[in-house]
Amino acid sequence: MKSLLAACGQGDAQAFQRLYQQTSPKLFGVALRIVKREDWAEDILQESYVSIWNHAGDYRTQLSAPLTWMTSIVRNRCLDWLRRPNLELAEDDDHPLDGMESAMAGPLELLQSSTEAQALANCMGTLEAKMRQTIMLAFFEGLSHSELASHMREPLGTVKTWVRRGLDRLKLCLDT
Amino acid sequence: MNYLQHRDLCEKLAAAYVLGTLRGPAARRFARLAAEHATIRLMVSEWEARLTPMADAVAERTPPASLWQKISTRIAAKGSDSKARGRDETASGLWGSLAFWRGLGVAGSTAAVALLAVLMLRPPEIIQVPVEMVRILPAKDTQPSYVAVLEDPKTHKPVLVAMAGRKSDTMIVRAVDERPIPSDRDLELWTLPPGAKPHSLGVVSARSSSLVKLAGNADTELGNIPTLAITLEPKGGSPTGGPTGPVLYAGPCLKFWQ
Repeated sequence: MKSLLAACGQGDAQAFQRLYQQTSPKLFGVALRIVKREDWAEDILQESYVSIWNHAGDYRTQLSAPLTWMTSIVRNRCLDWLRRPNLELAEDDDHPLDGMESAMAGPLELLQSSTEAQALANCMGTLEAKMRQTIMLAFFEGLSHSELASHMREPLGTVKTWVRRGLDRLKLCLDT
Repeated sequence: MNYLQHRDLCEKLAAAYVLGTLRGPAARRFARLAAEHATIRLMVSEWEARLTPMADAVAERTPPASLWQKISTRIAAKGSDSKARGRDETASGLWGSLAFWRGLGVAGSTAAVALLAVLMLRPPEIIQVPVEMVRILPAKDTQPSYVAVLEDPKTHKPVLVAMAGRKSDTMIVRAVDERPIPSDRDLELWTLPPGAKPHSLGVVSARSSSLVKLAGNADTELGNIPTLAITLEPKGGSPTGGPTGPVLYAGPCLKFWQ
């Protein structure tokens, strides 16, 4: 995948197509998971891949794995999309938080697909349940501290502390 | 404050930025900092590497074939011109790029001069944020054809700039001068159609960029509108549907096309 990205940086459109074929199901899944509407996820993916093509030359292998770099591009666009003012809510009666349960249900079982994911799953497993939930909500739903607080029905200060300590502990756990 | 001497603080900011809990002006300041300092960019990359594997839990879904068609058409349009590559005008460059405004072909008009002046007031905005950190909106139609510079009538200083492409149903409103407003108030944007009551376009941010959804495309919604105005309203916008607070800023709604 690194060599495909490097080729894209040189303007190789065939490499870009292969990169798209290899990564779009994963990235479309991520966008759908976060914004929960296919038309939005398609728009976000379109913009993301145009960005990936335009910036492939800026990609630095030593800084991040290709899929991490690309996923960050997609996720950042998703978060931005969710933070639009005047965001029309999904037309069906989906609550924006529906589907969250799937991430809550068994993060440990779900997070098994790569070594990094396993390491993260193990470390997430060491956090208290509410701390873990808060971090996953922020990651997948793009919730702010105050949205997290109202969703978790906990005081703002408590939620902020969970996020901060949760991240501290994750770092400690992952880096050792 | 010298952030680089506060490594722990930078670590925490990087973590919150990547997770998404760092918001608003703080997040923008941090992105700017990261653009300037490689140390901070490294911290962001490290946090992305730590947290992004959470996305591995998500089920894959193959996007429709039409998506690849759209993407390949767009890159083919750009790909042949190597100079265009790397300059993603839908990303950070659009608002800051003078070339873009010159490209409008309206440099002779006073309005364009005013616009250039507005944009040049804020040179620090023109920075290259790494693409993975860019949180901007997919812009379907980035050709600004309707532009309004909303000025403070007392000082004639521009405070907000609103723009929309002719066929777009979304207007981008950007604060070019951060004016504080009471925390229990919001700014609301109105069109002032001749001989009719003001029509609300929605609440906009006093400190950053907002996207305002129009009822139809800009040609329909703004074609006959001479003026846009901003009023100070209760949180969430006017409760009555008409303006209830003072008009803070206003400006002509200009049309740019041949």
